[in-house]
Amino acid sequence: MKESLLEILCCPLDKHELELEDAEYETGEDDSEEIIDGTLVCEECGERYPLEDGIPNLLPPDMREESPA
Amino acid sequence: MADQQDPPATDDLARRADVRDTYDEIATHFASTRAYAWPEVESFVDAHAASNSRSGTRVGLDLGCGNCRHAELLVDTCETVVGLDASAGLLETGRERARERGFEVALCQGDAAALPLATNTVDIAVYVATLHHLPTRRARRASLDELARVLDPDGRALLSAWSTAHDKFDETDGFDTTIEWTLPGGEPVDRFYHIYAPDEFDADLEASDLDVLEWELSSGNCYATVAGSESDLSE
Repeated sequence: MKESLLEILCCPLDKHELELEDAEYETGEDDSEEIIDGTLVCEECGERYPLEDGIPNLLPPDMREESPA
Repeated sequence: MADQQDPPATDDLARRADVRDTYDEIATHFASTRAYAWPEVESFVDAHAASNSRSGTRVGLDLGCGNCRHAELLVDTCETVVGLDASAGLLETGRERARERGFEVALCQGDAAALPLATNTVDIAVYVATLHHLPTRRARRASLDELARVLDPDGRALLSAWSTAHDKFDETDGFDTTIEWTLPGGEPVDRFYHIYAPDEFDADLEASDLDVLEWELSSGNCYATVAGSESDLSE
């Protein structure tokens, strides 16, 4: 995921902005920087959303699958 | 207002998660049978490709993107195209298609009834063959309001849902059903569908925050072209 996408993503519950924590970056084929791993945290409610393998999981927490070991 | 037959909201989320699990299970085979964009979607994208002012910073959204065959149509006229789906398995098929065909899509796992996108950010959206997988009327109506929220007032979206007008169905009222998907080994997997009566689809749209611009029945599907709501910015 490109960091600029954070400008349009929001918390699915209260629609407030998300802050990126614990980010790991990787440089893609076209030299652009991608976030590969991290956590997106709602600035308002504090809910934490995983970003794994380059894809943010912004499902409401009750719909999120149990994270595989 | 929720329908009386709707279960409590907690069940609602669990049932949406079930639908997600179903598509995780069938993702690879399902996507392999979905190679081509729908002509109705191509026409919509052609008609609205550059019809509003924010050229250069346009954001496109494929809601219920599956393998991103429709996201692919948006990349030429949008700076950013978001492909959103509840199923991680389907998002993987989208990533694969984007890689093979050389287009760029920002993938995001999310729920169509609780969109993780900021208000008035989307200029063009495609929401086809997805709404009918939301298992309650409450979730479907919430989803329409969510689309209205994220869509710019000058933005346009194409919606479709399967309807009782299709030859396959004898019913005239909208109803819930499951339709089997058969995996290559012969294993059947049930998928939830709500089959809309055309007037029910129309009524749900009218009750939503969306502004309905055009409406038609085509190939047994209800289609609507809609605009976002004006009121959001004042909130």
